[in-house]
Amino acid sequence: MSAAPGPAPAPLDGVRVVELGDESAEYCGRMLAGLGADVVRVEPPEGSPSRQAGPFLGDEPGPDRSLAFWADNVGKRSVVADDDAEVRALCAAADVVVHTLRPAEAAARGLAYEDLAAAAPGLVVCALTPFGQSGPWADYVADDLVLMALGGSMAACGYAPGPDGYDTPPLACLEDQAWRTAATYAAIAVLGALLWRDGTEGTGQFIDVSAHECSASMTEWHLMTYLCSGAVHKRGPHPTLTGSDGRLVAALTPDFLGPHVFARMLEMLEADGVAGPLSDPAFADPAHRAANYREVWRALKRLAERHDAEALYRLGQGAGLPWGVIRSPDEVLGDPHLAARGHFVELEHEQHGRAAPYPGAPFLALASPWVCRRRPPLLGEHTHEVRAEWLGA
Amino acid sequence: MALDGVRILDFTRLGFGAQATLICGCLGAEVVRVESTTRPDPIRVMPPYVPEPGEQGEGFGAATLANAASAVNANRGGIFYKYNTGGKRSITVDARHPKGLALLKDLVAVSDVVTESFAAGTLERWGLGYEAMRAVREDVVYVSMCGFGHSGPDAAHVTMGPTAQALTGLTFLVGLPDRPPAGWSFSYLDHVGGYLGAVAILAGLHHRRRTGEGQHIDVSQLEPATALSGALLLDAALNGRPARRPGFPTGNRRQHPPSAPGGAYRASGDDRWVAISCRTEAQWQALVGTMGSPPWAADPRFATVADRAANADDLDPLIEAWTSARDRYEVMDALQAVGVPAGAVQDAADRLERDPQLAARGHFTTMANAEVPPLPLEGVPVHMSATPPHTGGRIRRAPPLLGEDTEAVLGELLGLGAGEVAALAAEGVLS
Repeated sequence: MSAAPGPAPAPLDGVRVVELGDESAEYCGRMLAGLGADVVRVEPPEGSPSRQAGPFLGDEPGPDRSLAFWADNVGKRSVVADDDAEVRALCAAADVVVHTLRPAEAAARGLAYEDLAAAAPGLVVCALTPFGQSGPWADYVADDLVLMALGGSMAACGYAPGPDGYDTPPLACLEDQAWRTAATYAAIAVLGALLWRDGTEGTGQFIDVSAHECSASMTEWHLMTYLCSGAVHKRGPHPTLTGSDGRLVAALTPDFLGPHVFARMLEMLEADGVAGPLSDPAFADPAHRAANYREVWRALKRLAERHDAEALYRLGQGAGLPWGVIRSPDEVLGDPHLAARGHFVELEHEQHGRAAPYPGAPFLALASPWVCRRRPPLLGEHTHEVRAEWLGA
Repeated sequence: MALDGVRILDFTRLGFGAQATLICGCLGAEVVRVESTTRPDPIRVMPPYVPEPGEQGEGFGAATLANAASAVNANRGGIFYKYNTGGKRSITVDARHPKGLALLKDLVAVSDVVTESFAAGTLERWGLGYEAMRAVREDVVYVSMCGFGHSGPDAAHVTMGPTAQALTGLTFLVGLPDRPPAGWSFSYLDHVGGYLGAVAILAGLHHRRRTGEGQHIDVSQLEPATALSGALLLDAALNGRPARRPGFPTGNRRQHPPSAPGGAYRASGDDRWVAISCRTEAQWQALVGTMGSPPWAADPRFATVADRAANADDLDPLIEAWTSARDRYEVMDALQAVGVPAGAVQDAADRLERDPQLAARGHFTTMANAEVPPLPLEGVPVHMSATPPHTGGRIRRAPPLLGEDTEAVLGELLGLGAGEVAALAAEGVLS
């Protein structure tokens, strides 16, 4: 491999992105910044709504202390603009605009695609809204919970029913998974539109992302199950084992992948002396095993009692089983594998005199590495700088 | 289409990798799946099975379970049809046969991108590692998608979606307070990993356009997920507030900013629910008005959103007493009419048969191949004005039968005639 002098270039170096509107598209800009784009979060004087949301550093509210803002705005610059003429000028100087405005608001502010494209024909404009630009629900309102409900994830998540049916509600994962999926699709579409623009001498376009549609397409095999069998997937957790320390391990036993799966599991159980009846050759027969799967689980529980969850996870993996210890989001920081891959990065927040850890590269691209160039911006920190660079003002 | 002129030689299997090439196919890339007849992609042969055309009743809801013979038919595995839209074509080549390996190298030489989702080291063992690819195609963008990635102390570990969800904190975040996590009952991270696989492919193409340089991009199923938990990592690291604490996670209740009422409430019918989420005073007042302004709504316990959040255990049963006598869509429409975020908890049947928005947006594209009946399929759920994605990809076609395109692809891309292809098949190279 040829060694290039200086830091490797990032794929979107020099690409200017304006991000406008509420917090629902901030994850998109975060991703584009990681790919090297110059992402400018254009904010009203009071700041993005996520600056008002907690949790806050030291539980002390303030626009520059919101950890919710920090998490999704790492790598960006911040410009305060309360004048739509200035917002339009910034858009005209950009390659990409990502916004969350409804059609009526965009039109009223002179920020509709037609307005923006008239000033800058090569502009790629992406609107991320709850239900998209058209359709009977286009004016409906939603937060992430509502999107997870309508999209189908929620119906499929929750606790198993009791003897009299379900006694707990369907559950939606915390931390805005529908918005994040939609924001990721927005980033994908922007990347595709930029490739096409570069290959067609600068033709821009409008991208319409509906978070509802994105949320509706992430439930794996559920639609196919219904199409194939008429059955609807019901909610209930995946199997887990409880280690000797009381912590849980997600413990799939994917027998469907072939006879080697059970063979290696049996070796693991026998090595620990807990295989019991599973050593009976009859268990090598999948039909017998399926009819007596309770014995498999009994043996796995005997194994689990003898090891803490971390050790149990590693025992299962040693036998080729796709097991994983159930970690909380912050416990992931201590994962030795991710640490060895250099995943988390520390960024200095000099105004608070401390560094903060951020998830870094979502993949390892040696020739064009993911970049974490800036801590999240203070409100309006780059207003003058960006005006000078982009507008010559 | 956005990816006109991009050819992907695709060795991915199962969901995670196939999601990435599905996206690129829907955006216009030409995707050639390389498969094996002796080791078919597991999702081609595992249930649920697509019924025979004749087994179909009045609409798919009435379809019967396919017969057992379908289990060994590699074209009937239902999950395959979720992950292999995008106009992917299928060829079968035995990579372990010297002539098969030579064919694959010839195909790499005419491809822009190579994707795979095997265990680390598998392609090297075939003689088709990154260095071998570069020898025939200097600027190839090689994207591997493997559970733990190709480096690091646990690179030999294996994942399925639920494994990665457990390890990255996503399982933990689905649950009621002070109970074990309920987690996800499906592989959310097969999708997310695939989305980032698509981002990696697109980033690699941008880099190549600028520099002429290819590269190996190593995608795991873990790193794409770590930023999905928002501020929780920072809250723990900076405020000393670990997520594993009493009362957390909070079920359906949102904290930042608080939403109250906020959650899934029982509606009429068997296990039917409607989600409602009020963050503003205006939304609360609109909800109260829609409920007919019951006297309890004026209780000081519910005066502000902070009060309602603090007394949610008292408030939620009162909301549910109102919703539980009503149809979930009626509740949704009545509340949406006055600006309150509300939505029916929909399952797959609802999305397909009752959701007017998905229908109006053309979310599903109905396509068939020679062995399965017309199926409503999904692709890339974004709308692009100049380069519209298509669920059938550039060739507007349903997911492929196993090996359906072997002869056509070898002819088109390598110039092999029918006789040469037949000879290779007779030698067992194309299996």
